[in-house]
Amino acid sequence: MHRFRTQGWYSGKLTSQHAVRIEIVVTPSEGPQSKSQFNNQNSPPTLESADGYWKGHFQAMASPCDIFMEVDDQSLANKLLQIASGEAWRIEQKFSRYREDNIVHQLNNSNGQPVKVDDEVSHLLDFAQQCWELSEGMFDITSGVLRRVWKFNGGSDIPEQAAIEAILPLVGWQHVNWSRPFFTLPEGMEIDFGGIGKEYAVDRTLLLLQQMTKEGLLVNFGGDIHANSRTKSAKHWSVGIENPNQPDAAAGVLKIRKGALATSGDARRFLQHDGKRYGHVLNPKTGWPIEHAPRSVTVAANTCTEAGVLATFALLQGADAEAFLKSQDVRYWLNH
Amino acid sequence: MQLKKQNKITTTLTAATCTLLGINAADTVAEEGDWDFDSAILYYSEVDRVSAIEPVITAKREFGDEKSLNLKLVIDVLTGASANGATPSDQPQTFTRPSGKGSYTESADETPLDDTFKDTRVAFSTQWDQPLNSDYKTSLGANFSTEYDYLSLSLNGSLTRDFNKRNTSVSAGLSVANDTISPEGDLPIGFSSMAIDRGQAGFDSEFNATRDGGDDTKTTVDLIFGVTQVISSQTVMQLSYSISDSSGYLTDPFKIVSVVGNDGRPVDYRYEKRPDSRNKQSIYWQTKHHFTQDVLDISYRLFWDDWDITSHTIDLRYRWMFDSKRYLEPHFRYYSQSEADFYHRFLREGETLPEYASADYRLGELNGITLGLKYGMKLANEQEMSLRLEYYLQSGDNPEGDAPGILSDMELFPDVEAIIVQFSYNF
Repeated sequence: MHRFRTQGWYSGKLTSQHAVRIEIVVTPSEGPQSKSQFNNQNSPPTLESADGYWKGHFQAMASPCDIFMEVDDQSLANKLLQIASGEAWRIEQKFSRYREDNIVHQLNNSNGQPVKVDDEVSHLLDFAQQCWELSEGMFDITSGVLRRVWKFNGGSDIPEQAAIEAILPLVGWQHVNWSRPFFTLPEGMEIDFGGIGKEYAVDRTLLLLQQMTKEGLLVNFGGDIHANSRTKSAKHWSVGIENPNQPDAAAGVLKIRKGALATSGDARRFLQHDGKRYGHVLNPKTGWPIEHAPRSVTVAANTCTEAGVLATFALLQGADAEAFLKSQDVRYWLNH
Repeated sequence: MQLKKQNKITTTLTAATCTLLGINAADTVAEEGDWDFDSAILYYSEVDRVSAIEPVITAKREFGDEKSLNLKLVIDVLTGASANGATPSDQPQTFTRPSGKGSYTESADETPLDDTFKDTRVAFSTQWDQPLNSDYKTSLGANFSTEYDYLSLSLNGSLTRDFNKRNTSVSAGLSVANDTISPEGDLPIGFSSMAIDRGQAGFDSEFNATRDGGDDTKTTVDLIFGVTQVISSQTVMQLSYSISDSSGYLTDPFKIVSVVGNDGRPVDYRYEKRPDSRNKQSIYWQTKHHFTQDVLDISYRLFWDDWDITSHTIDLRYRWMFDSKRYLEPHFRYYSQSEADFYHRFLREGETLPEYASADYRLGELNGITLGLKYGMKLANEQEMSLRLEYYLQSGDNPEGDAPGILSDMELFPDVEAIIVQFSYNF
C-alpha cells in the first residue's frame, strides 16, 4: 500500500499577509518505481530566500522535498537544510526496499533465520505491529509480495485466483516472530516500510531541525507535511489542497499553526477488468484489491506518521472510508 | 470492513506514534473552525455573609489568519447578607429594607448586615480579534450584563502594533460603559434619614419622602495603554497605564451611615452620598518567567483616584509542574488601600454634615491577603481540568481615632474572611 507519488511545490505567491502557501497536488505516478530511480546520485540541496524565510529544496524518496525555514541567518538555513537532506537520505538508504545494502534487504533475505536489529528498526517494527493490531490485520507490512501477481499499470490483466492463493501464505504479520531485538521472517516473506517510511522521515526531520532552532519550520516531502509554529511571525501556515481530478474546483486552503498532513492513495494506479475498476490497495487477507475505496485520502493530525496511518487505514475501509474518518474526529479530504 | 467503524483508535495510535518518534503527546492541530470551550464553576463564600455561585462558560473559535471570536456567559447567584454601613450598638437595631417593604433587625453588639442581599446576574460578552496587516491587530467587543435592578452595556476596542519582530507590542484600548440602576423602592435621597416603621400611620409617606427617582445612570470611559516586551525566550514583561472616568450615580443606594451621639449610640441613619464623578488611574506591571518547566508569574498594581484612595496589589503565582501533565500552583496576593476622603465610619450628632459620606467598608482603609492553591491536570484529547482553593482575609483599620461611648468597645472594622473554590474544565 501507499505506493504512489505526490508532488509538492511552492506556489511562489504570497498573500497580503505573507503567508507561506504550500500547494499539494496528488499527481499520477509513472507506475511502479524502478530500482534505477534510487541509484541516481543525489544532487546537492538548493537554498533560496523568500520574504522572511528560506526555502530549501532537494530530492529524496523519489519525491521533491521542501524545507521552509523562518530564520534570518543564511548560514543557519543552510545548516538546517544539510541536516534535513542528510536525514531524508539516511532514512531512504536504510529503509528502501530497492536497495541491497540495507537492513530491509538483509531481513528479506534472511531465509528464516533470526536477525538482530538496531533500536530504530525495533521502534519501527513495534509500530508496524501496533498498526497491524489496531487495524485488525488489515495494515500489514508483509503484504508487499502480492505485487508479484498484481500489476497496477492501468492494464486489464487480473491474476488467476490460484496465483493469488499461492502467494497468500507468504502474507501475514502473524507468521513473523518479533522478539526485540531479534526479528525472524519466514522464508519467502518480505517486509516493506514503504507505508510509513516517508511520513516517519518527515517527522524525524522536523524533530531534528527543532533541536537547532525555535523558529517556524515546515517539512514537505512530496506532499507529506509536518510544520511547527511560526514563532517569529506568529502566522499560520497555509496549505492548499487540490483535487487533481477536478482542477477547476476551488482548492481548499488549510491553515495550520502546527501539525501534519499526509496523503495515501494513488488515483492512477488501478486495473480495469470486465468494466470493473480495481484500485491498488490490497486486502492482505484475501489478496484482492479493496473495493470502493476512495482514490486518495488526505488526513490532518499531530504528526505526519499518524496522519499517514489514518489515511491508509481509511483506504483499507473501502466504501466505509469516510465513516471511519468521521469516527476518528480528524480533518480529512477524500478524492473519489 | 474489518475495522469497527465506531472504534476510535486515534488515542492508541497517537501514543504509538509518540513512542516511535520519542516525543511527548503533542498538542493537537490548531485548525480553523475548532471551537474551544472553557467551563468553570466558582463558589465564593464570606463567613456569615455573602455567598456566590458563579458558573462561567467561554467558547473560542479560530477562523484562521489569527481571526478569532470569543463568547462568554456568566451567571452569578448571590445570596446572604452584606454590611449596610451602620455601626453596631449595645441595643438591637431595626432598619427599613431598601424596598421600603418591611424591616430587619440586627442584634446587639453585631455589625448590622442587610440580609436582603439576593440577586442573579447574567452577563454575556463577545470579542472579535483580527489582524489588520502584519503589524496591526485589532479587537472589538461588547458586553451586556443584567440583574434584577441593574443593567450594564459596554463597548470596547483596542489596537495593537507589533515592532521588533513581534518582540515588542504597543497597544491602546478604549471602553465605554453605560450602567442603569433601578432598585425596587426607588433610589434614596442622599443624606435623607431612614424612615423606620414603628407602626406609625404615616410611614409610607415618610419613606416616600426619602425617595428620589426610580432609576439613574452611570457612564464610564476607560483608556488603557500598554507595552508588552519579550525579554528572552523565557521571560515576557508587560507594563500598562489606565485611566478611567466615571460620572453619574456612583452612590450605593443600599448603604447607610450611622449618626451617633456622644454615648456612641445611633440617633439617626442617613443614606450615604458619594460624589457624582470619579477619576481612577493605575499602573500595572507583570512579568512571566518560564523555567524549564515551571512558570513564575509576578505582578504589581498601583492605583489612585480623585477620591483619595491609593492602593497597592502584589500578586505572585508559581506553577510547579510535576510532569508535562500535572501542576500545583500556589498563589499569594496582598492588597492594601487607603480610605476615600469622604469615608466616615459614622457621623457625629450635632456636627455639620460633610458634602459626601459613606461608611462602605470597601472605601475604608483595609488590607487583604489571599492564599491559594490550584491543582491542574491535562487529560486525554487535549482536555484540561483544574481545582482552585483560596482563602481571603481582609482586615480594616481604625483611622478615626477615639470612638465615642459604647463604640470604643465595639468591633467597628470586623475582619472579612472568604473561601473561594473553583473547578474548571476545558474541552
